[in-house]
Amino acid sequence: MATPGTTQEEFTLDTAAELAAEEGGSKIEGKSPWVLAGRRLRRNYTALVFLAIFLLIVFLCFVFAPIYSSHLSHLGPDFENASGVIHENGKTIHIISQGKSTFGKDGQVHTTAAGIPIGPQLGKSGVAYFFGADQQGRDIATRLLYGGRNTLFIGLVAAAICTVIAILLALLAAYFGGATDWIISRAFDLIWAFPVILLGIALGTALNINGFHHGPINIAAGSLWIPTLVIAFVFIPYVGRPLRGQVLALRNREFVEASTAQGAGPLRIMFTELLPNIASSVLVLFTLIVANAILTEVALSFLGAGVQPPHPSWGTMIANGQNFLSTRPWMAILPGIMITITVISLNVFGDGLRDALDPRAKVKMEH
Amino acid sequence: MRTKRVRSVAIAAVVTAGLVLVVSACGGSGGSSPTTTTSAAQGATFSNLKVVWGLPDYLDPGLSYKLQSWQAFQDVYLPLLAKRYGTCGVGAGCTKIIPAIAQSLPQSNANGTDLKFTIRKGLKYSNGETIKASDFKNTIIRDFRLNSPGIGFFSNIVGIDACEGNPTKCSDISGITDNDQAGTIEIKLSKPQSDFLYILTTFFTALVPSSTPQKDTENPPPAADGPYYFASYKPSRSFVMLRNPHWKPIPGIPNGNPDKVTALLIADQSRSAQLVQSNQYDYDENTLPTDRLQQLQKNYKNQIHLWRTPSTNYFFMNERLAPFNNIKAREAVNYAINRQTLVNLYGGLGVPTWNFLPPTYPQYKKLSPTPYPYSLSKAKQLVQQSGTKGMTIGVYTESDVANRQAAGEYLQGQLNKIGYHAVMHELGSANYFVIIGNQKTKAQIGFTDWFEDYPYPTDWFTVLEYGPNIHDIHNNNVSNVNFGETNNTINHLGHLPPTQAFSSSTNSDWANLDKTLMTKYVSEAPFLNEVITSFFSTRMNPSCDVFTDLFDDVAQMCLK
Repeated sequence: MATPGTTQEEFTLDTAAELAAEEGGSKIEGKSPWVLAGRRLRRNYTALVFLAIFLLIVFLCFVFAPIYSSHLSHLGPDFENASGVIHENGKTIHIISQGKSTFGKDGQVHTTAAGIPIGPQLGKSGVAYFFGADQQGRDIATRLLYGGRNTLFIGLVAAAICTVIAILLALLAAYFGGATDWIISRAFDLIWAFPVILLGIALGTALNINGFHHGPINIAAGSLWIPTLVIAFVFIPYVGRPLRGQVLALRNREFVEASTAQGAGPLRIMFTELLPNIASSVLVLFTLIVANAILTEVALSFLGAGVQPPHPSWGTMIANGQNFLSTRPWMAILPGIMITITVISLNVFGDGLRDALDPRAKVKMEH
Repeated sequence: MRTKRVRSVAIAAVVTAGLVLVVSACGGSGGSSPTTTTSAAQGATFSNLKVVWGLPDYLDPGLSYKLQSWQAFQDVYLPLLAKRYGTCGVGAGCTKIIPAIAQSLPQSNANGTDLKFTIRKGLKYSNGETIKASDFKNTIIRDFRLNSPGIGFFSNIVGIDACEGNPTKCSDISGITDNDQAGTIEIKLSKPQSDFLYILTTFFTALVPSSTPQKDTENPPPAADGPYYFASYKPSRSFVMLRNPHWKPIPGIPNGNPDKVTALLIADQSRSAQLVQSNQYDYDENTLPTDRLQQLQKNYKNQIHLWRTPSTNYFFMNERLAPFNNIKAREAVNYAINRQTLVNLYGGLGVPTWNFLPPTYPQYKKLSPTPYPYSLSKAKQLVQQSGTKGMTIGVYTESDVANRQAAGEYLQGQLNKIGYHAVMHELGSANYFVIIGNQKTKAQIGFTDWFEDYPYPTDWFTVLEYGPNIHDIHNNNVSNVNFGETNNTINHLGHLPPTQAFSSSTNSDWANLDKTLMTKYVSEAPFLNEVITSFFSTRMNPSCDVFTDLFDDVAQMCLK
């Protein structure tokens, strides 16, 4: 599991400006640190290519998926068709191979092996079953797109929720210190003490049985919000601890003291003085947490504690495909390729973002 | 038993004893060799049989309740009585039992509540200790001390109450008396119980030396009284069986062909099949992976056997909860599932069924005409009539057993098609039956199965379909089946005079009970009897393969 590294010294957007100054002298005059960081990022073509790949995947999963399902394959992502057939060159082909068993008096059974889903049609019978079917006769291509939608939704939303909560806790802990810091830090330690996957499995399994119903919060069993919130929860200390460290280093700086002297209250100092100064680290950590959240979702869904069937996710698709590795390897390979591309895209872009904001690599995820 | 599960300790076996007919059904008095429906070729002895084996739960007969362990136990641990060591085929052949450590089947009083056994003389355990009559009672006491999953089987023995109340403090059972000098054991039952002789064939009653520690004993496992003993056991890795140096042949119990059985423990079906396919190992205990079955059957047709097991895979429907407290909803489920499609999802390793009792039983009578031909339109109509359309239903299944996961997801798809909003709950198999067997889970519908513990219908109807056997936790009657008429019938069939318990008319009564539950009350949605595979390397002679009702007998395997 990835764990964030420690920061040796605070990094702020001023650092980005200093770094830009090293490069260009007068060209930076009057430019904000964000503009300078953006300029550095634009020069990093590798990061931009991988950002484009990631955005393409997002487009395919969120925009193209319903078009593909309703206008091209005419098959919904959950449409089970285990008894169905397709017609190809006048021949009828079963989506799932059929078998027949007869029972001998000796107790032996004579059976024809069955249950093998149809392979990739690659356009032979229209767009349907382009990449073949899974064990329930569902269209793999459609599920790949919708599975990506679920996986990306969980990854992005979980990372966003996790980051927001981690920022709040880090600011509170570092600014107030004392008992507040002790309680929040021990809470981070408590969550950190559990391996992410084990904690995710425990929470995901428990919540997926009867859902979460406490007070005004009602989340039905099987909802995508369960893995989303579970993943957000387990990653909070991984974002919160390094941010707390940065805020601790900043809170005694002159600009904070100046703000205090001008009569600013704690909230104003936290959100207008401290938060902007850790924003670059937050951005970098966010991209890395998205990638990790996606991998965690895949792992939880693979183990049955994440996205619940029949809803697809790349993790559940790999889990389904592993039973057919000998005869239908693409059932597991295709979602695996999608995961690989997505995570590499996010990591390379995240590295590029970090280089733009923090080329001294003080904020990083250690694997 | 289920393949992986915890069993309720309260198994109410209430069928009236039928000892006279049991004795006759079992082929007469002790010492006689069992007749076999299929005779196995007798092979010569050989040095080492290398097998690939699924993961046992325990190699302690007091604790194990899993097929993988019991299959190994059949050549290691012998109870007083044993199921015969031959391929049973179907019908009465599967119900015969033979005396093992006992000299003969027991003498009993008229209602079968007083059983007298005499053990064979001169037998020794693999560690050299003499087998004594008192070892039987000590074995049962040890079961209680271990809190064995089998202690519910003994609830009808006189004086068992104290042990049931506080199992770990169990020290004596007044209903079991013995005499080591005479080698006699007397068991007194509180009331007649016709399946009690079958219970005495389960491995929970297999004798172990009195010196065996009263705790989980696996390194090494307890000394054996059978033809082999466990020389070593490395959990999740391997075990080795060697010939018992003190073994004295017993009629009907095979002495065994291999001198040594070396087992590599592997849960991965593909890997274990590959090891046998490449002739590195001789026998694959795991069922072949469904996606490779076709290819393996094509290339190794003569090396593969497929056996229908005394098992039923079915969808439970919780009759305490909506919508399945409505019979029309239960009928709808039965019409909505295409059993042949489910067999296909099992890779062909199943035979469709509409009965609850498997066809291996003499009490089985195939429901005819087929009560629920596949019809989605009929199912939709029934859902409409039941007034339950649109309800949200939680569907439960196992997440890590491919065919069960597929069956559960198929059910969910069909429920959605007939007008429900079905939500899937997939759980790891390690805790699956514990969770669905807990009333607090409120599991509405889902996958479950049953493999026989012993070949009498009480193991099915009393355990799984009998109202008084509903429990808050570890509930095997997952559907909460509780109908006055069928409860009375089960009770009635359990208290027949011994002369009737195994008669053809009683068999018909059991068959009618099956029909009543499946068609009048629609208590479950059975869909197939599971088929398991035996895969041998090319150096083995598959004609020696003996399938003793639930599993192959490694002792009788032979080389070409």
